[in-house]
Amino acid sequence: GVGQPSPWQVGLQVPVTEVAEFMHWFHDGLLWIISIIVLFVLALIIYVVVRFSEKRNPVPSKTTHNALLEVAWTIVPVLILVIIAVPSFRLLRLQLVTPPADITIKATGHQWYWSYEYPEDQNGGFAFDSNMDANGQPRLLAVDNEVVLPVGKTIRVQVTAADVIHAFAMPSFGLKIDAIPGRLNETWFKAEKEGVFYGQCSLICGQNHAFMPIAIRIVSEQQYAAWLTEAKQKFASTGKAPMAVASRADAVSAE
Amino acid sequence: MAEAHAKHHDYHLVNPSPWPFIGSFSAFIMAVGAVMWMKNLAVGGLHAGPFVFGAGLIGVLYTMLAWWTDVIHEANTGDHTRVVQLHHRYGMMMFIASEVMFFVAWFWAYFDASLFPHEAIQYARAQFTGGVWPPKGIETFDPWHLPLFNTLILLTSGTTVTWAHHAMIHGDRSGVKQALWLTVALGLLFSVVQAIEYSHAHFGFSGNIYGATFFMATGFHGFHVIIGTIFLAVCLYRMYIGHFTPTQHLGFEFAAWYWHFVDVVWLFLFAAIYVWGAGPSH
Amino acid sequence: MASTAAQAHDGHAYPTGWRRWVLSTNHKDIGTLYLLFALGGGIIGGFLSILMRIELQEPGLQIFANGQAYNVVVTGHGLVMVFFVVMPALIGGFGNWFVPIMIGAPDMAFPRMNNISFWLTVSGFCLLLVSLFVEGAPGTPGFGGGWTVYPPLSVTGHPGPALDFGILALHLAGASSILGAINFITTILNMRAPGMTLHKMPLFAWGVLVTAFLLLLSLPVLAGAITMLLTDRNFGTTFFDPSGGGDPVLYQHLFWFFGHPEVYIMILPAFGAISHIISTFSRKPIFGYLGMAYAMVAIGVVGFIVWAHHMYTVGLSLDTQRYFVFATMVIAVPTGIKIFSWIATMWGGSIRFTAPMVWAIGFVFLFTVGGVTGVVLANAGIDRELHNTYYVVAHFHYVLSLGAVFGIFASWYYWFPKMTGYVCPDWIGKLHFWLAFIGANILFFPMHFLGLAGMPRHYVDYPNAFAGWQYVASIGSYIFAFSLVVFFYGVFVAFARKERAADNPWGEGATTLEWTLSSPPPFHQFETLPRITGSSH
Ligand code: HEA
Ligand code: HEA
Ligand code: CUA
Ligand SMILES: [Cu+2]
Repeated sequence: GVGQPSPWQVGLQVPVTEVAEFMHWFHDGLLWIISIIVLFVLALIIYVVVRFSEKRNPVPSKTTHNALLEVAWTIVPVLILVIIAVPSFRLLRLQLVTPPADITIKATGHQWYWSYEYPEDQNGGFAFDSNMDANGQPRLLAVDNEVVLPVGKTIRVQVTAADVIHAFAMPSFGLKIDAIPGRLNETWFKAEKEGVFYGQCSLICGQNHAFMPIAIRIVSEQQYAAWLTEAKQKFASTGKAPMAVASRADAVSAE
Repeated sequence: MAEAHAKHHDYHLVNPSPWPFIGSFSAFIMAVGAVMWMKNLAVGGLHAGPFVFGAGLIGVLYTMLAWWTDVIHEANTGDHTRVVQLHHRYGMMMFIASEVMFFVAWFWAYFDASLFPHEAIQYARAQFTGGVWPPKGIETFDPWHLPLFNTLILLTSGTTVTWAHHAMIHGDRSGVKQALWLTVALGLLFSVVQAIEYSHAHFGFSGNIYGATFFMATGFHGFHVIIGTIFLAVCLYRMYIGHFTPTQHLGFEFAAWYWHFVDVVWLFLFAAIYVWGAGPSH
Repeated sequence: MASTAAQAHDGHAYPTGWRRWVLSTNHKDIGTLYLLFALGGGIIGGFLSILMRIELQEPGLQIFANGQAYNVVVTGHGLVMVFFVVMPALIGGFGNWFVPIMIGAPDMAFPRMNNISFWLTVSGFCLLLVSLFVEGAPGTPGFGGGWTVYPPLSVTGHPGPALDFGILALHLAGASSILGAINFITTILNMRAPGMTLHKMPLFAWGVLVTAFLLLLSLPVLAGAITMLLTDRNFGTTFFDPSGGGDPVLYQHLFWFFGHPEVYIMILPAFGAISHIISTFSRKPIFGYLGMAYAMVAIGVVGFIVWAHHMYTVGLSLDTQRYFVFATMVIAVPTGIKIFSWIATMWGGSIRFTAPMVWAIGFVFLFTVGGVTGVVLANAGIDRELHNTYYVVAHFHYVLSLGAVFGIFASWYYWFPKMTGYVCPDWIGKLHFWLAFIGANILFFPMHFLGLAGMPRHYVDYPNAFAGWQYVASIGSYIFAFSLVVFFYGVFVAFARKERAADNPWGEGATTLEWTLSSPPPFHQFETLPRITGSSH
């Protein structure tokens, strides 16, 4: 399904970012390669099992060397791996080099919920907690306060944790990054579709590890602006101090 | 060999022994006691941790004593053929190799913090250290005082143990005793100086990464110095009761290897933690 | 059994009764103890896994009160299987039994130390069992932070004594393995019979040799890491606590510096055994012997420099991730050499499909399946999606539960007549195989789908969309577990019927030294050392 798994699904979730699309393409390619390798090995096994059974071949050969073959089954895998490495490295670069961001938000993992901060200088200046909505649908994915962000904008997400390690994951964005106390990790995405997208905490963090989902609602820019105004009022009363999200380089000098 | 049946090889098929089982059982008790102690657990209202731990420890120490007594006995009754001696050499070398990897863990922790005190991504650490190593507010030892003195002590002890080794090979038993006395004394002196140094530390083991890495690395080393000193002292005692020959003295040789290993580790500690990690104030 | 062995063939008295087993300095007896221990561990580890599968069979909570209780069981399952089933079975059990015999030695180099390796494992296991029942997280028993024991969940998250017991359990098991490693290396390097050069040495001995080096060099680093964990927990140090300048990620580096070699520790002895089995029943010498031996060496060496592929999401730099992607993929090359050499060994052979052989062929195929998903995970770009999902769970069960454990069962059926002197009916071993093969694939293959669809690990409950495949997996696990009943039936039949096994029940293909001895071998074999002739490979 889009933004969430569907019953009997056998593949990755529908991609909604360029990165996730690349990942899909890359995974499909890998799947072809590994399937062919496995089928090749299986075919060889079936062949030897049938052809060289005691009945069909009562007298075993004594061959124990074949230089050409041995070189071949060393070189060919090397070549396959090199072929894999090229797009793999390109994908890595795409994922890890954050382009200039339009909006920065900060996600903090807690036992067992997420909290989000929208910085002051981007028309935000509020923070809120996002808990699993025990009665909401889809079960275990719905939350009380969704993260709302505009479509087609580059969003930088800074991720940290308050107590133990959690991991911020959003499968359909192709995104997963650990939320580690004392560390400010960073990732980014640019959603190409509107909708609600779900992810789940992806690092064992104790009793309710399975119950701290992540929900991001991607909306049009107008809706986003409207939501910001609304949210500022709504979350002003939560008592959380509005903050400015520090850039990474500021983290030290802020001290 | 006590058994009379034909054995056409030089290996040592050891007789059944109670020590492995007793030692492992004691280790279990010691571990249980350690947890009870650390967690201050009570059984029937009694905070028995230290006692359980102590009982286990006694069991472990007794096992070591009895086990090695057996080994020495076997050596004296001719079980330690040349090939068996070779086994022991291999065994000791690999034991030391595993110890080296143990120290790798402490050095890894130390360099993880000292090389990267200012990574912006680790904001909590950067805040704690102030972006510098040693962390702000930490007053380190002057490497050129006691640490240097200790370096000289250990280096000297390395030469005295080599002296003992030479004397051993040349059958000069009184020379061995003299040199070993000196080595043991230097080992003790090192430990005393280290204790004095610790008592003057301006930082603690807990609450800060500098103290944690410092005391863990130097403390683990100090623990090895103590073990090495005991090892050498046992050799000295064995000299007095007439053990060791110019051609067969593995126990002593291993004590010497161990001592050199402890020595080399110190040089790394001295260079990396005391000198390089001392910071601009020194 | 103990009393019948009182008189060995040469008429000399050997220890009998409990003294024979508790005070043992005999590598075969200690090997037997290890195998029995591993069997017990396998039952406990398997029992814990079935609890997990019952829980996961349907969405919602079934048998666990909460996620913490479930996590305790997952953690226990992982630790038991890794440290107290696979390692004791392959290294302690079969390694002890057959390495000395294969190299033509009368025993291990340090027979008494061999025994403390065993009993320390038992002590460690007891501590781990204690850990399951004392308080971990506030108000709940056991440690539920995963077998990798990451802080801060393992420090602030579990203040109770459970994890302290767990840590000391690992210390003892680790000490046991380090001593065992020293023993194996010394034995293999110094006690080979005259003429048995390293290049003539059977591949199982090679596998154990490389494994022993991995143990020797990686376990002390784990010991260091968990010692720091212990002081962070109990003495207020801040190695892994950022508020005192420490770093939780440091722990992960140290753990995986051990943890990755550890996964090869669990498979290399199986690689060795599989080589013998395939060669024996193809009636052909192993193909590319030297390549096989050095492939294992290469896997061992490279295995030390790939650890951070378990940490792609912690925030490593681009260059670091690139390096680890590349280094990790390199391991596929020597592993491929092994797979293809096994097939080449069968090629042209005259294959007899005995129980050990079908297990071995199953191993080659299923290990390949697990291996190639490892290559997918090696690519950080896609691991970002799959990390900590069931895709990883599928990967490592294919290489462990369908790799290492299939290797254990293959070895079991192969060496059972030699070790016990009795014959286990072949059809039982094969029935066991087919049930296990079908069950395990139904169990673990759907986990790939779950992982791709995004199902995270360590989840006691999951969104309803995952219910279908989880249900299938649970059914598979019951079939797999049922296969064990067949396994025990086979053992029972063998001991009940007491049909004597020949010295070499497998025929001319079985060429290693154990087949020249009686079944079971004498209490001390090779009182006169065998002389190895014949050309090097
Ligand atoms: C026996 C144990 C074992 C073995 C042998 C392996 C083998 C491999 N593993 Fe696996 N692994 C584990 C046990 C094992 N692993 C465990 C327990 C975990 C999870 C730990 C945890 O988090 O709890 C794990 C996790 C794990 C991860 C981390 C995933 C994550 O957490 O996100 C990665 C990533 O790189 C990985 C990679 C590999 C690779 C590349 C191999 C390679 O060695 C595989 C090589 C084999 C082949 C490739 C098949 C045969 C080769 C050919 C037929 C030749 C042609 C092939 C090609 C050209 C591709 N493994
Ligand atoms: C060798 C290792 C091994 C083996 C064999 C298994 C076997 C099984 N495992 Fe696994 N498992 C792990 C190692 C292993 N596991 C690890 C390391 C983890 C991660 C833990 C963590 O995250 O902390 C894990 C996690 C794990 C999970 C994920 C839990 C989660 O993340 O929420 C699941 C879920 O279904 C699972 C299920 C099973 C099942 C049903 C089996 C079945 O195959 C079990 C059936 C039982 C048997 C087949 C018995 C086998 C018998 C022997 C091995 C003894 C043989 C001995 C002699 C003959 C001498 N295991
Ligand atoms: Cu939060 Cu898992
Ligand atoms: Cu790995």
